Amino acid sequence: MADLSLIRNFSIVAHIDHGKSTLADRILEHTGVISQREMRAQFLDDMDLEREMGITIKANRATCPYTHDGREYMLNLIDTPGHVDFHYEVSRSLAACEGVLVLVDATQGVQAQTVANTYLAVEADLEIILVINKIDLPAARPEDIALEVEQVLGLDASEAVFTSAKTGAGIDELLAAVVERIPPPAGDPSGKLRALIYDAKPDPHRGVISHTRVFDGGFRRGDSVELVGVGRQFLITEVGKFTPKLGAVESLGAGEVGYFFAGIKTLADVNIGDTVTLAADPTDNPFPGYHPPQQMVFCDFYPGIGTSTEALREAMEKLWLNDSSFTYSTVGSDALGIGFRCGFLGLLHMKIIQERLERENAVSVVQTAPTVTYEIELTTGEVKRIESPSELPDASTMNEIREPFVKVQMIIPADCVGTVMQLAMDRRGKQKKTEYLSTTRVMLTYEMPLCEIIYDFFDKLKTCTRGYGTADYELIGYVVGDMVRMDVLVNGLPVDALSVIVHRDKAAVRGRKLITRLKKEISRHMFEIPLQAAIGSKIIARETIRAFRKDVTAKCYGGDITRKRKLLEKQKEGKRRMKTVGNVAIPQEAFMSILNPDD
Amino acid sequence: MTQIARSTEARGPDFGLYVHIPFCHTKCGYCDFYSVALKDRDTGPLVRSVQRELETRLGRGSFKIRTVFFGGGTPTILPAEQLESVLASVTDSVSPDDLVEFTVEANPATVDDEKTHTLVRGGVTRVSMGAQSFWPEELATLERLHSPEDIAPSVSTLRTGGVDQINLDLIFGIPGQTLATWTASLERAIALEPNHLACYGLTFEPQTPLTAQRNAGRIVPCDENLEADMYLATVEHLASHGYEQYETSSFARPGCRCQHNVLYWRNGPYIGVGPSAAGCFDGRRYKNVADVAGYVRSMQDAGHAEAQVETVTIPMLITEMVMMQLRLVEGLDRADFVRRCQIDPLVQFGDVLERLVAIDKVAVTDDFIKLTPSGRLVADAVIGELTSASPTVERLS
Repeated sequence: MADLSLIRNFSIVAHIDHGKSTLADRILEHTGVISQREMRAQFLDDMDLEREMGITIKANRATCPYTHDGREYMLNLIDTPGHVDFHYEVSRSLAACEGVLVLVDATQGVQAQTVANTYLAVEADLEIILVINKIDLPAARPEDIALEVEQVLGLDASEAVFTSAKTGAGIDELLAAVVERIPPPAGDPSGKLRALIYDAKPDPHRGVISHTRVFDGGFRRGDSVELVGVGRQFLITEVGKFTPKLGAVESLGAGEVGYFFAGIKTLADVNIGDTVTLAADPTDNPFPGYHPPQQMVFCDFYPGIGTSTEALREAMEKLWLNDSSFTYSTVGSDALGIGFRCGFLGLLHMKIIQERLERENAVSVVQTAPTVTYEIELTTGEVKRIESPSELPDASTMNEIREPFVKVQMIIPADCVGTVMQLAMDRRGKQKKTEYLSTTRVMLTYEMPLCEIIYDFFDKLKTCTRGYGTADYELIGYVVGDMVRMDVLVNGLPVDALSVIVHRDKAAVRGRKLITRLKKEISRHMFEIPLQAAIGSKIIARETIRAFRKDVTAKCYGGDITRKRKLLEKQKEGKRRMKTVGNVAIPQEAFMSILNPDD
Repeated sequence: MTQIARSTEARGPDFGLYVHIPFCHTKCGYCDFYSVALKDRDTGPLVRSVQRELETRLGRGSFKIRTVFFGGGTPTILPAEQLESVLASVTDSVSPDDLVEFTVEANPATVDDEKTHTLVRGGVTRVSMGAQSFWPEELATLERLHSPEDIAPSVSTLRTGGVDQINLDLIFGIPGQTLATWTASLERAIALEPNHLACYGLTFEPQTPLTAQRNAGRIVPCDENLEADMYLATVEHLASHGYEQYETSSFARPGCRCQHNVLYWRNGPYIGVGPSAAGCFDGRRYKNVADVAGYVRSMQDAGHAEAQVETVTIPMLITEMVMMQLRLVEGLDRADFVRRCQIDPLVQFGDVLERLVAIDKVAVTDDFIKLTPSGRLVADAVIGELTSASPTVERLS
């Protein structure tokens, strides 16, 4: 049984690109668990996508032996997702630790996600070690940045550890600090088994691998365990530690971190955050109940060109087995056919799921504009949640509509404050706080409707801060809003896929924008096409696509027939991918580009 | 002149024969037909290959050839003896009783008394002349070699020599052209009293120098509204001078329609001879090798020069019939469509047709489905709609 005083469990949290993965690599290398030669660059991020997007999507791990002052310690590095979309996953990973390294780039300083992640660590009551990284860069200002962190986050600058994960500088000091400052795990090695599942992943051959941290007691292969939240029993078939590869061991004891297999077939059978205990002798003190992932952002996925609805469905099923934190259900649109309404933890999550669908399953996905959940209070007093404009009941049957609000924290250059405040105001933001991190950088805190930021807010923020601004958000609740459904009519007929729920004050602007885009996407027809945006029967914006006057092939003789026929056949093929609304052919791609928030 | 004796009893449908002579003095910027600049080229091998193909295709005399059309290129730039020889090859294999029309394309300044004599002696009854415009600037934009002054003498030479059927090709929608210059060209053409006029809206064909110039921004295409006005003016103007419009771009004095082209527009059977020429009959279409050298080699080595062959299925034929027959003012022949496509066009085009009728682009009579005057301006869009229609019932067989 391991000596608890020789165990340290910790995570690294950081803003994107502040060097988390490189630091993890260096720690593995310095503790000798993996040689430089074996080291694939950034070993821990094992999915392509993670590397490309510069973020860690699923928690990763390693148990590293480390000798300090003549004693051999076991350092358990628990990697965490790097974005607050994965708030719950981050909080579960942190729950498995006693300490956390808050990593800050010595050239960039505190960023929005540094703040968000640090707050999570504080909430989890963890020992925090401030690490100022990338000190090798010419533009590095380690001391200034440490002071900035102290001012913003209240972490003692004099205790900061300075590293370069790239060159290895400061890694020994960091490991020493981990041993000296992070407390060893508390827990009763001889008590009833109480272990936390902080992550789970499908394994191609053996069902699900559960990542676990033992708090009290211990377990071994052959034990019969109960997952308290699920209420089901499983037989442990393998226990092991991450070396970082899977390394089977006899048992895991209190304070230790590792994994187990137990004949759990799919991710649906295991909940992250659940308690593992011995079936024969269960704990009286399980961890607080499982918190199901909360989807905040919704959009529809439709099969793109060359992909069938069935192929997309299969791909979604497969991906869901790998990440059950998104939801999907079949949805039918008059304009776009059969697709899937999906719910995501946040915008980044949405983007990742779409990319993984396409990349891992070779399907093409067309995505509609993201929307949020609205709370509707009916005149009957009943409260229900809706996720799509078509579900919005008639105004006469509603008392009120409530929309989700988020707290947004933005860290921006001081000279951009005016523009960013204007941007936030345009998005119905309410300013809560302005804090100067230094003479040149400011943290703005706003409360804003979620629907205003999922559209293109973060892109706009980047633009008006020359790329320096960062932002993070968290849900704070639902607030009554004057929301209406805006319909779009093409040649007098409503197009369901283009309906949106908007704030009444914003409807005219959104309506004009949408219709201007639509006008660009629909080619001229042989008749005039009115485009209108309407709230109920009231037209709030209008455009007309004028008819073309002349469209006729001047000559067509015997030698031209095949070529001209093929053009018509191609045109017919193209029309198949169009939706005809009110005699107007609208290309499917046009729907997407109209709905796409990126342009 | 020897002619193959043949019985005139049931030898199947009326055929057209197209012969492609791919030589021009220079290639015009807008032209996308296969042709090569003549320069000092020896046209003999090509002419001999064409004659060989004529023999091969027509030798057994099994086709009732009603119309012959020599196109190009500019067939009249062939040396007189070659022209004579190739015309003879045609008349040798076609029964004079069958033949109702024999057209040769010509350009102004490529016909003189001797050439005209050769043509007439060779059986030619009709000459189609690429006049295009009576304004030097417009001809320059089109990269045409002739000048406006060449047109009238050429017409006169032909007429004196005995060619009584004359067509003039004119182009509108030329960059820089105005409604006034266009109607002036029309007037000058009418004054020459051709019995047929073909007025084409300038088309920017892919991969032509003209299109490249447009894409590079060196020339600005004619405004769509102006072009539409020119077209409407043409129809009206020619009607008032006794030229009846019978096809999108074709106008004729009574009885003077181009039978060969009408055959194309009725999806009739035709035989094509020469480089890049296409032929289609019995549900089979072929297209010959386009380049002169390749054509000559193929004829020598393989005895034919077919580069592409396709079987015209019923769905293909449906598209082709709509695409060709709606060009005719008379319209799509409903009975012919039922017979050949084995489906009632009203069923085939269903809702789409009804919608087009409702917006006054198409009219349906007992015998025809045709474009209305406003539909004719947007014929491509109408044809695109109809050919994209999917019938709601299955074809019977």
